[in-house]
Amino acid sequence: MELKELSKRLEEVYRKIKAELNWEPVGPTPMPELSDLRNWDMRLLKTYKPFYAPFCDMCCICTFGKCDLTEHRRGACGIDIATQQARLVLLACLIGCSCHTGHAAHILDYLIEKYGPDKKIDLGEGVAVEAPHIRTVLGMKPETLGDLKVAIEYIYKELTHLLSSVHTGQEGSYLDYESKALHAGMLDHVGMEVAELAQISGFNYPTSVAETPLVDLGWNAFDKTKPIILFIGHNPATSTAVVDYLRESGLYDKVEFGGICCTALETARYSDRAKVVGPLSRQLFFVRSGIADVIMTDEQCIRTDITQEAAKVGSALIATLEKAMYGLEDATNMDTDEIVRKMVDEKKQFVILNPRKAAEVAVKVAMEIAPKRRKEWITEEEAKELAKKCSLCGLCEQVCPNLFNIGKGISEVAKGNFDTIRDIFNLCIGCGKCEEECPRNVPIFKIMQQAASKEVWKIRAGRGPIMDTEIRNVGAPITLGTIPGVIALVGCSSYPDHRDLAEVVEEFAKRKYIVVLSGCAGMVAGMWKDADGKTIYEKYPGNFDAGCVVNVGSCVANSHITGAAIKIANIFAALPLRANYEVMADYVLNRVGAVGVAWGPYSQKAAAIATGCNRLGIPVVVGPIASKYRRLYLSRKEEDDWRVMDARKKQIVDTGEPSPEHLIYVCETKEKLMVTLAKLCIRKNDTPQGRAIKLNHYISLYKKYMGGGLPEDLHLYVRRDADIPLVYKKEVKAYLDSIGWKPKEPVGLPTWIGTYPTKVPVDAVIR
Amino acid sequence: MSQLSPIIPYHRVNTLTGTRTARTLEDPKDIVRQIKKAKRPLFVLGPIATKVSLGDKLLIEYCIDIAKAGNIPICATATTKAKLLEYGVKPDSVYDTVEIINALKDPEWKGVKGEGNHDLVIFLGIRSDLANQGLSTLKHFAPHLSTLTLCKYYHPHADYSLPNIFKDEKWKAILDGVIENLKSEQQ
Ligand code: SF4
Ligand code: SF4
Ligand code: SF4
Repeated sequence: MELKELSKRLEEVYRKIKAELNWEPVGPTPMPELSDLRNWDMRLLKTYKPFYAPFCDMCCICTFGKCDLTEHRRGACGIDIATQQARLVLLACLIGCSCHTGHAAHILDYLIEKYGPDKKIDLGEGVAVEAPHIRTVLGMKPETLGDLKVAIEYIYKELTHLLSSVHTGQEGSYLDYESKALHAGMLDHVGMEVAELAQISGFNYPTSVAETPLVDLGWNAFDKTKPIILFIGHNPATSTAVVDYLRESGLYDKVEFGGICCTALETARYSDRAKVVGPLSRQLFFVRSGIADVIMTDEQCIRTDITQEAAKVGSALIATLEKAMYGLEDATNMDTDEIVRKMVDEKKQFVILNPRKAAEVAVKVAMEIAPKRRKEWITEEEAKELAKKCSLCGLCEQVCPNLFNIGKGISEVAKGNFDTIRDIFNLCIGCGKCEEECPRNVPIFKIMQQAASKEVWKIRAGRGPIMDTEIRNVGAPITLGTIPGVIALVGCSSYPDHRDLAEVVEEFAKRKYIVVLSGCAGMVAGMWKDADGKTIYEKYPGNFDAGCVVNVGSCVANSHITGAAIKIANIFAALPLRANYEVMADYVLNRVGAVGVAWGPYSQKAAAIATGCNRLGIPVVVGPIASKYRRLYLSRKEEDDWRVMDARKKQIVDTGEPSPEHLIYVCETKEKLMVTLAKLCIRKNDTPQGRAIKLNHYISLYKKYMGGGLPEDLHLYVRRDADIPLVYKKEVKAYLDSIGWKPKEPVGLPTWIGTYPTKVPVDAVIR
Repeated sequence: MSQLSPIIPYHRVNTLTGTRTARTLEDPKDIVRQIKKAKRPLFVLGPIATKVSLGDKLLIEYCIDIAKAGNIPICATATTKAKLLEYGVKPDSVYDTVEIINALKDPEWKGVKGEGNHDLVIFLGIRSDLANQGLSTLKHFAPHLSTLTLCKYYHPHADYSLPNIFKDEKWKAILDGVIENLKSEQQ
């Protein structure tokens, strides 16, 4: 009976993924359900154990509660504090995954409406493996927009089951909740990939090219004498319609347009006239400047008080997506001229769900109200005057999530010194809590306008997928270790210091790592110039190669970064990927020295992205604020199980080598981050030459940022003399001798397959 | 040990936050009494201690004096090791904040001296958001040890914490007092 059921399910799955198309054999886990990859997860969680830092002592999600979970108390439902944390992490991952998948589904429907379901997915000549995630997870090779619907429906189904497990009285094990969170993270990357494939094909974004246009970046990038339209959010359906409308109506160079957050990046891939104002942390600043004539919101990471903020400064506002309608009247079916009149004369704000119509209205309204708008930032004198109201009560400091002494900065401005407030501005995450709290109503944000840099920088428009040829070129050096690693800086902008990003890029690009960027991190890294006035995007080529700096695009473009890791296993190592998730993840974990950095993540999407990286074997380092995510995956290097299977000898070997040491890890300072990144690129597969290069960087970064000496755990990463970098030979040898270090054999083909219960045979990792 | 939060509704389901929260200590004698009660204390130093001045000294100098006077091993996090070495102090261990917390929550851990896990962990110089999360971990998962914070502001998740201190002179007086009392106990 059970067997029959199973085969019925498989029959259904095989039909959906068109199993009869024989491009690769169908692997063991097509369209995996909640429990299909559970053994892999448990293997991960055995070495990288969940570490919980409860953000709240209570649970308040059902009417049994609130329940106090301190001192080993259980909730009225029986849950303990660890399981409760894991449940909340799963919930965050589900929110994140559904945001990306919701975005993907919307844009897909929009494009199918426009071009029909048979429109071909086309990523250009350089990309034959178009959908590494969909191929690996579902086992399907999508050819048309219509095919992508299969992936969306699969995610919808899994999401429903996962979400139901969060209900009171369901899952009772933190490990199983973690396995479910890892599942949600994996689905998230599939959802992001769908969005990217649809957008690139539907909007003709650049693809199969490394050198994409350089576009203007910074909040002074707009020509303020022209009408300005500002996009906030992540979905380009409407912003691209604005560009189309401007082109068709001959206004293309008469109106300024650009955005905050990912829609800015998406629009810049569509038109190099688009401006990228900046990351999420600059949203409220820019809105409060009143420089935008029209604000168009779409989805995700928009201030939920955007309607009030826009009204306060006289910017018009149009909400363009169902997911964020702000209680506004839906004018989708109203006459265009009537909407424009009401927006201009009566200052009404509307929802307009038809992109074409929203575009026309936005342009017309912007043209009408621009002549009356203030065109300049406030002056130094004005700022000084405003700052005089501050009584240095310190209430603002108490509510600042980044713990700044804002009152000090403001009171200095009153004396004519802008240095402190400028520093704070560089660190600020832009939440607005300080100004809200101020009992004297000091307009802190207005004053900070003076402190903000008026520089215009450059950012390279997102280039989308990594080309197959690039993968072929770097596959060997990455897996041997002679390219010391891939560092991917992604995610939101709640950094300890905005300047850290460009520094990290510089440090690792100079050392010939491959540096990849996306989302807000890609913007902030561009907001810095060297002595010659060049940004990182002008300094380093945009190829996926040693010493290059690649901006893949918006948040959903993160799927290309993880996709590149899968492509190394598939294209370079020639391992089949079709429905073969464990083999891909195992390869990435043990052989691809890639690390993600989310230095200022705040969102649930970031939680999902990071967790998806983790299931695929990519470690992630997060900034200190991310300790509030409640959960890390940490090993304890001296104590944990570092055994692997040597696939050549078919023997389990105890390597004692903690590589990679953690799966998700918090660093407190930039200095520690630099050193940690180099260390987390070490893999058991490194050749002696590759290992020596990686250790060279680990040691030299340690000396540079940690103040000299050798890393405390260096001995764990030296297998034989040949691993020791030449420059430090003497010092390292002396240290190793002093602690009684003994050489050990490197492992031929390190894998976890064969070390835990799995359907996959060890031979599956050999080619 | 730790006190209940000051106002707890009679019906606990109406409670605003957890019912276990730090006891404030500000008399150096009380602080030293807690330190002296411990058999295997540990001092975890964060990078802020290397940057903030108090009186005419860096915060880390107070930490060094406390560690010396109380014979307390030091765990250096982030970049604090380099600064300690400048003062001629070799830390007994180097772990990052989350790593030391992760080790501390294991009751079987052998501790930085290999003599067994610590029974009192003193913290100073870690960003307050990260410290708050780390102390929450220990509060929930390390019932085998107590925590004490000497930061300027109250840490609710610790077992013992200084209250919010708005004047640096007061903070300095407490730290000096701790050093003196430890020294006199030593004699
Ligand atoms: S879900 Fe459980 S722990 Fe949460 S409030 Fe309900 S009974 Fe309490
Ligand atoms: S806006 Fe900036 S300075 Fe103000 S509270 Fe938020 S992070 Fe702190
Ligand atoms: S809350 Fe207002 S008055 Fe008080 S310190 Fe901050 S800016 Fe000054």
